[in-house]
Amino acid sequence: MSVKAVAAAIVAALALSLPGVALAQAWSYTDGSGKTVSLDHVPTRIVAHANAAAGLIALGIRPVGIYVDSPVADDKSLEGLDLTGIEIVGEAWGEINVEKTAALKPDLIVAEWWPLDNAWSGLNDKLEQVSKIAPVTGPAQGASIVTLIEDYEKLAASLGADLSAPEVAADKKAFEDAREKFKAALAAKPNLNVLAVWAGTDALYVAATAGAAELSDFASWGMKLVDPAVADDRGYWETLSWEQADKYQPDLVIVDNRSATTIETAKDQPMWTAIRAAAAGQVTDWPAFWLRNYKAYAGALDKLTTAIAAADENLGD
Amino acid sequence: MSTTGFAPVGTVVAVRRRLQRRYALVMALLAVLTLAAIGLALAVGDYPLPLAEVVRSLLSPFTGNVEPAGDFIVLGVRLPRAVAGLLAGGAFGLSGVLFQSVLRNPLASPDIVGITMGASATAVAAIIVFDWSGTAVSLSACVGAVVIALLIYGLSWRNGVTPYRLVLIGIGMSAIAGAVVSYLFTRARIFDVQEALAWLTGSLNGASFEHLAPLALALLVLTPVAAVLWRSLNALQLGDDTAKALGTRVELSRLGLIIVAVLLAAAATAAVGPVAFVAFVSGPIARRLLGPAGNALLPSALVGGLVTIGSDFVAQHMLGRNQLPVGVVTGAFGAVFLIYLLAAAHRSGRGG
Amino acid sequence: MAEAAASAKGLAPSARAGGLVVLAGLLVAVLVLSIAVGARAIPLSDIWSALVAFDPSQTNHRIILDLRLPRTLVGLLVGAALGLSGAILQGATRNPLADPGILGINAGATLCVVLGISVFGITQLSGYVWLAFLGAGGATVAVYLIASLGREGATPVKLALAGAAVTAVLTSVTSAILITSVETLDQIRFWQVGALTGRTNEILLQVTPFILAGIVLALATSRILDGLALGDDVARGLGMKVQRSRALVGLAAVILAGAATAAAGPIAFVGLTVPHVARAFTGPNYRWLLPYSMLLAPVMLLGADIVGRVIVPPGELQVGIVTAALGAPFFIALVRRRKLAEL
Repeated sequence: MSVKAVAAAIVAALALSLPGVALAQAWSYTDGSGKTVSLDHVPTRIVAHANAAAGLIALGIRPVGIYVDSPVADDKSLEGLDLTGIEIVGEAWGEINVEKTAALKPDLIVAEWWPLDNAWSGLNDKLEQVSKIAPVTGPAQGASIVTLIEDYEKLAASLGADLSAPEVAADKKAFEDAREKFKAALAAKPNLNVLAVWAGTDALYVAATAGAAELSDFASWGMKLVDPAVADDRGYWETLSWEQADKYQPDLVIVDNRSATTIETAKDQPMWTAIRAAAAGQVTDWPAFWLRNYKAYAGALDKLTTAIAAADENLGD
Repeated sequence: MSTTGFAPVGTVVAVRRRLQRRYALVMALLAVLTLAAIGLALAVGDYPLPLAEVVRSLLSPFTGNVEPAGDFIVLGVRLPRAVAGLLAGGAFGLSGVLFQSVLRNPLASPDIVGITMGASATAVAAIIVFDWSGTAVSLSACVGAVVIALLIYGLSWRNGVTPYRLVLIGIGMSAIAGAVVSYLFTRARIFDVQEALAWLTGSLNGASFEHLAPLALALLVLTPVAAVLWRSLNALQLGDDTAKALGTRVELSRLGLIIVAVLLAAAATAAVGPVAFVAFVSGPIARRLLGPAGNALLPSALVGGLVTIGSDFVAQHMLGRNQLPVGVVTGAFGAVFLIYLLAAAHRSGRGG
Repeated sequence: MAEAAASAKGLAPSARAGGLVVLAGLLVAVLVLSIAVGARAIPLSDIWSALVAFDPSQTNHRIILDLRLPRTLVGLLVGAALGLSGAILQGATRNPLADPGILGINAGATLCVVLGISVFGITQLSGYVWLAFLGAGGATVAVYLIASLGREGATPVKLALAGAAVTAVLTSVTSAILITSVETLDQIRFWQVGALTGRTNEILLQVTPFILAGIVLALATSRILDGLALGDDVARGLGMKVQRSRALVGLAAVILAGAATAAAGPIAFVGLTVPHVARAFTGPNYRWLLPYSMLLAPVMLLGADIVGRVIVPPGELQVGIVTAALGAPFFIALVRRRKLAEL
C-alpha cells in the first residue's frame, strides 16, 4: 500500500467513525432565480425566511434559524407552526442579524425569489453579507401557491425530508379533499361572483386576479372572480374611492386577512354596505399572499367553501 | 506677544488663549469619545468573539494571521459599519453646519430645506416604480439631491439670492418631493413600502468598503474646500452689508459653500440613506460645546460621526431582540443630547 | 429685512376689508363645489333632495350626507385651524419656518395614533381623534418645558430647537414601531398623508368645539402678536409679559393644530405657507393677517381636496398630497414674484 492510500483509508475510517457525519454526498439545487447552488454535502443547518420556513417546517425540514419581516406573532405564514428550538435571527423587515446568523454556522439560507423585484425575500441590502455566510437559494414566487408548495416539496426532498411520512401525507390529503369540496361548492353556484378586496379609510382596493397566486389558484378551480379592468400596473389593485364602492356588485366579498383590522376598517365605512353582498353579510376571509403549506391551505379553503355554500348567488349583478 | 503693558491687549490675548484652549479641549474630547465608540462597535456583537480575537483580526491584514470566520465578522461586518457611521455622520454634520451658517437659521439644515427630501423622492421612486436596488438607488438619491438643490437655488435667484427666499423655496420644493414620497407610499405594494421605509430611515446595513469609497472620496476633497471657504463664511456671518463692505464676494462664497454642503449631504445620503437629524443636530451641539470658541466646522463633523456611531450601537445592541436601523435612534440620541445642552446653557443661546 | 418689510405692505388699508369679503365669497363657492363635486357624478337635483328630503335607501343621498357633507365641514374647520395656527406660531416664535410641526404637534399626534394602532388595535378614524389630540398636547407641553429650561427662558430659537428635538425623539419611536410592525405601517400610511376621506359626522362633532374655541382665542391674540413682532425687548418695554403672552399664543396654536391633526392627519404644508401668502396682501399687521389666513387656508385645503377627488378616477388622491403638489409651485412662484414681508 502506498502512503497515499493509507492516508485515504485513515481519512475514510475517521469519517465513518465520527458520529452524525455521513459520507459526504454532493447536493445541488436549481433555485427560482435560475441559479444552481452546489455543495459537497447535503445542507443540514438552514436559516430560512419566515415564508420559506412555513413551507419547509410543514414538510419536516426544521431550520436552525428563522428571520421574519415582523414580530413572529404577526406573521400569518408561521401561524400554528411549532417553532421551539429555532432561533429567531430577525424580527423587522430587512433586519436579519448577520452576526447571529453567522454564529448559527448555517450551510444554506433559504428565501423566496421575487421575480418582480429581482430580490430574495427580506434580505434587502444585507444580501451581500449574508451570502458570504452561506449560499442563498429558494423557490420563486409565481402564479400559483400549489406550484410554490410543490417547489418546497422538491427542495425539502433534496434536503432529506420524507414526504410520505404520515403527518405530511395527511396534510396533503386534507388539502386535496378541501380542494374537491371547494370545486364542488363552486360548481353548485355557477352564478356566484367573488370580489377580493383590501379596505382602507381612504379607498377600497380591488385585487386583480393575476396579482395574487392564491386568487389565480381559485380562478383555476372555477371561482368567478371580478377582475378589475384598470389594475394598477405595479400593485395589481384598482383603487376605488368610497364614493365608487358600489362599482362592482359581487355575490361574495373576500377581504384580505393578513391583518385582522382590515375587515373592521371596511365595516366602519358608511359606503361598505353599498355593496349588497357586504350588507347581506356575504363576506369571508381572503388568505392573501401568505399560504405556504397544505395544512394552512386546506383550512383556508374550507372556510371559503362554507361561505360559498351559504351565499346567495343571485345577490350581485 | 506681550502680556504686560496695555490691559485691554492683555485681556484680549488671554481671552483668545482661553478660547483656543477650549477649542482644543472640545476637539480632544470629541476625538476620544469617537474612538471609544468605534472600539465599542468593534468589540461588541452577537457573534461570540473574544477581544483578543478582534484585535488579531484587525491586525490580520498586516500580520497575515487570517481566520476567515472571525475576519468576516470583524473586517466584513463590524469595521465597515463603524466606518460608515463615522463617514456618513461626519458628512451630514459638516453639511448641516454649513447650511445653518450660510442661511443663518438653525432650522435650515439639509433635511429642512429639501435636499434630503429630494434625494428621498428619487430614491423611493427608484425602489417603488423602477424596482431598482443597491447602487442604482444610491445614485438616484445623489441625483435627486443635486437636482433639487439646483432647482432651489435657481428658483431663489432674483438679483441675487437671499437666505430667507432660499429657505422658503427650499420648503416649497421639500413639500413637493414629500408629496411624491407620500403618493408612492399609498400606491405601492406593502412590500415595496417596507423597503422604501427602510431606506428612508437610513441604515448602516450591508455597509462595505467598496460602497463607502465614493463617500470617503467626497469627504477627502470637500472638507479642505469647506475649510477654505469657511473663512469667507465667517465674514458672511457678519451680515450681507458688512461682508460686502469687507470686500467678500458674498454671492460666490455662499454658492460655493452651499454646493459643498449639498454634495456632502448627497454623498452621505447615497451611502446610508437620509439618516434623520444628524445634519440638524451636529452644528448646534458643537456650537454649544464650543461656546464662543468659534470654528464649529470640524467639531460638527466629529459630533455627526459620534452621534451616528453611538446611535447605531444603541440600535444594534440595546433595544432587546430586535436590531433596528440607525435612523430610528439618531433622532432620539441626538435630541437628548441637544435637549441637555439647551437646558444646561448658561449663556444666551446662539442661533446655530 | 427691514427694506423687504417696508416694500411689502400688501393691499392698501382701505382695500383690506374688501379683500376679506372677496375671500369669504371664494370660500362659500369652494364649499358649494366641495358638496357638488366628487369621485362619483351626482346630479344637482339629487344633491338638493339629499339635503332637503334624505332617503337612506338611495346611495347618492348617503354619499352626500355621510361622505361629502362631513368631509366638507371637516375641511373647512381643519383649514381654518391650520391657517390660523400657522400664522400665530410664526408670529410667536418670529420664525418664518414655524408651522404646527415645529411644536412637535404632528410628531406627537402621529406617535399616539401609531401606538393606538399597534398596541390597542384601534382602527377607527374617530378613535384616532383623542389619541392624536393627546399626543399633540403632550408634545407641545414637552417642547415648551424644555425650551423654558435654562436662564433666559423660552426664546424663539430655543423653542425652535426644542421643537425639533422633541419631534426627533417622537419620530424615532414612531419609526421603530413602524419598522417592526407591517400591520401598523399598512394602516398609518394612509393617515399620515393627511386626508379628508372617511371623515364622518362623528369626527366632526368631536373636534368642532375645540376648533371654535381655538379660533376665538387665536383671533384675540392679534395684539399680542403685533407686540411680539417688535422683538422681546421692545415688547417688554411696552409693558408686555413676553413669556406669558407667548404661552397664551402657544395654547391657542396647540388647540387649533392639535384638533386639525386629530381630524385630518398631519397636513404639513398649509399652516406653513398660508400665512406667507396672506402676508402678501395684508402686510405684517396681525389684525388683518389672522382673518385672512383663517379664510385663505380652507379655500386652499378644500380646493386641493376637490382636485384630488376627480384627478385619478375611480380613485382619489389624498388632500395632503394635492396641497403640496399644487400649493408648493404656487407658493414658490409667489415667493419669487413678490418681496415678501418678513417677520
